[in-house]
Amino acid sequence: MKNPTFSKSALLFAALLASGFGIRAEAQDAVTAITNAKIMTVGPLGTIEKGTILIKAGKITAVGADVAVPPGATVIDAAGRVVTPGLIDAHSHTSIEDNVNECTNIVTAEVRVADVLDPKDINLYRELAGGLTAANVLHGSCNSIGGQNATIKLRYGAPSGDALLFQGAPPGIKFALGENPKRASFGGGARRYPATRMGVEVSIRNAFLEAKAYKKEWDDYEAAVKAASAKRPAKGAPAAALPPAPRKDLQMQALKEVLEGKRLVHAHSYRADEILMLINVANEMGFKIATFQHVLEGYKVATEIAKHGAGGSTFSDWWAYKEEAYDAIPYNAAIMASHGVLVSLNSDSDELARRLYWEAAKTVRYGGVSEDEAFKMVTLNPAKQLRIDKWVGSIEVGKDADLAIFRSHPFAPDTRVEMTLVDGKVLFDRSKDVAARKGVAATLGGGQ
Amino acid sequence: MNRHPRPGLALRAVTGLVGAALIGLSPAAEAAKVPSYAITKAKVITVSGAVIDNATVVLRDGVVVDVGPSVTIPKDARVIDGTGLTLTPGLIDAYSGAGMPAARPAGGGAGGGAAAAAPAPNPIAPASNIYERVRAADALKARDSGITTIVPVPREGLVFGAAAVMNLVGERPEGMVVKQNIALAASLTTLGQRYPGSLMGTMAFFRQALMDGAYHRAEMASYEKAPGGRRRPAFDPGLDVWADVASGALPLLLQTSRVGDLRRAFGLADEFKLKVVLAGNTQAFEEAALLKERKPSLLVSVNFDPPKAGGFFGGSDDDKDRAEIESAEKNPGALHKEGIRFALVSGFANDFLAGIRKAIEKGLPKDAALRAVTLTPAEILGVADRMGSIDKGKIANVVVWSGEPLTKEAKIKMVFVDGELYEPEEKPAGPPGGGPPRPGEVAGDVRAQIEVKR
Repeated sequence: MKNPTFSKSALLFAALLASGFGIRAEAQDAVTAITNAKIMTVGPLGTIEKGTILIKAGKITAVGADVAVPPGATVIDAAGRVVTPGLIDAHSHTSIEDNVNECTNIVTAEVRVADVLDPKDINLYRELAGGLTAANVLHGSCNSIGGQNATIKLRYGAPSGDALLFQGAPPGIKFALGENPKRASFGGGARRYPATRMGVEVSIRNAFLEAKAYKKEWDDYEAAVKAASAKRPAKGAPAAALPPAPRKDLQMQALKEVLEGKRLVHAHSYRADEILMLINVANEMGFKIATFQHVLEGYKVATEIAKHGAGGSTFSDWWAYKEEAYDAIPYNAAIMASHGVLVSLNSDSDELARRLYWEAAKTVRYGGVSEDEAFKMVTLNPAKQLRIDKWVGSIEVGKDADLAIFRSHPFAPDTRVEMTLVDGKVLFDRSKDVAARKGVAATLGGGQ
Repeated sequence: MNRHPRPGLALRAVTGLVGAALIGLSPAAEAAKVPSYAITKAKVITVSGAVIDNATVVLRDGVVVDVGPSVTIPKDARVIDGTGLTLTPGLIDAYSGAGMPAARPAGGGAGGGAAAAAPAPNPIAPASNIYERVRAADALKARDSGITTIVPVPREGLVFGAAAVMNLVGERPEGMVVKQNIALAASLTTLGQRYPGSLMGTMAFFRQALMDGAYHRAEMASYEKAPGGRRRPAFDPGLDVWADVASGALPLLLQTSRVGDLRRAFGLADEFKLKVVLAGNTQAFEEAALLKERKPSLLVSVNFDPPKAGGFFGGSDDDKDRAEIESAEKNPGALHKEGIRFALVSGFANDFLAGIRKAIEKGLPKDAALRAVTLTPAEILGVADRMGSIDKGKIANVVVWSGEPLTKEAKIKMVFVDGELYEPEEKPAGPPGGGPPRPGEVAGDVRAQIEVKR
């Protein structure tokens, strides 16, 4: 960051905006204390058998076994419960209004999921009930280069889609390889290029050749403007003529940001060959892939993925729903992780997103991942993949108070989420939900 | 259609008829032949001011020349006894499908007859004039509902072109135009198999179009300043229109159907400093606080059950749809209660009056409803200086009602547009004697709607 002062104030402003809908009503110095809890911090403090978390202004201000609760604090007694960081879903399409895909072109890097978020989508609430507090909301996989993603916090009921956005999260974009962009999985409908894996590769390479030319045009222009403004004209002489500005193209702008490392690439992929293909194209064109999504054959090329520095966000055990998904194994997450790939487990589904903790548990059974490492796959690891780990993903002082309170260990078969907090605000409370259900039942019964 | 004005029984002095002889004359010549009228002893709801009982309204040369309890009746005026009748300003439907071709069924046109051979209109046509697509004879039928003025909008497409305020009079659409190019009309919709096929794509499309418009304008200006030694930039009429929108010179009349579309439209307006008029908004009450803060030019549709496009995963939720229809019906009343200013529009509903009545039934006060279809739309469309109320000097767009206007009992006896009289045909009102309908007979006004499912 070139200008830390500006960035800090910008962040503060963003945080104020973001917290406005929920926190403003409460005094900024009000303290919430979660007490008597078993705390799985997923951070340097490990697991605290019985401890306290203090929350102020949406942030964690203290965590530990010997933390004093200040007078006047709102106390949530979590005796017998397990507090964890809020879960993070690195592949979601939740709360998207209208079509998930802009399917009409091969490259639609100009479209933005952030334009179509619906903060009243009931799925956000249902996901909160599964302890989920953040999600990477992606464009669909219809085209080789899809639209821009939105990293959100699950601030269900926020006044606008913008209020869901995770302030400070770097922007990203969806890529897709294989059957979906070549439309092999979609019977009928309009055919459009590409129809083969070869075509998918070429379409990405062509887009980046164009983006590089676009970037050069803008770089040259900006250099010329800089040079002209540095050259002070002699007194009385006219100012040096500036070159005409190039046309701004929203699609090329997004790919230019990928080339500049400012926009994260999340690449939908299945087969080992296409994963290697994209790594080669990225190396050739000079960009990085942040995550391979689904990546069901990642176990075959884990070393190459790790070498590129990409993460892998996969399913625990979901496969064979189409031809390119037949060579999947439930050991995929474990094998990728053992080869140095940063691994997360995702849902790609509003339903599965409500129980990601059990998805993580499966990697203990298949591949012998330790419980701590397994739980990271739905908390800290996706936070790192989305570059939001300085705010979320673990319970640490200074991080956002995005927390889930479980009835028992999140991997236990009888567990469930009792309460979920986002920015320190309780957005799901099972006891209230159960009470409300009785009210609804009474209304329905009385109306008949 | 070229109806002779049918002077009804209310006419005391019947002079020479005009009508068929007017074909081919210029609007000015037409107007000159229109007789003067004096409607006496009527209740006049001016909308701009008080309700005047037992008043006379004089219409001459297409203009309201006098209104009040004691006015001088010109010698040449036809006097209409308005005893027991109520006058209101002509209704303005500021987002209307009147005169526009019906929506095309999907897949139509292949191997069909002459009708099917018509080419699909371009769904992206910023440089076109909507009034050129109006079928005058069809549009004039809206007068049966007391509508004197429309802003016609195509039923399908993304960017419709220049919107116009049109009076329902005469033979040719261009002669109907009161004010051309009041806005660029467009919709936050999608085009299915063609870009944009998603709401995300639609937003991106509008952003790029606005940026390209501004860029094109700058390019042309730069060339104009120093044309020597440079390749001439190509003129693009569509981008030229977008440039006007981007500079704030031309409002964007945007169809906003979803609740979230309000914020999307405000987002575009803020990003590009646009003037926007928002049409649709059947669930706008959900954003009452936002609307109070932003005070937009708001057109609220009484098309409470518009056809829905199938989503990617298809399927409609019947319970949700029903709830949406019910809340849409309450929407105008709820907005009024919050003190939010809006005009009611048909939004392609078949029966504008029925929609207005439903809004009244669900909580919109009658006087507020009348204002929302007269003076408020005139203000929003920038024509309140010439229409929207019964005031001296305004265009002679007047509706003569028996019974209380906008109620089910009300009948529209006469409609004056630009001072020209039109009398709707009496509709048969059930069987004689008022008994139950006999077998094979249908009581009242029954409409059948055939919906073509995609």
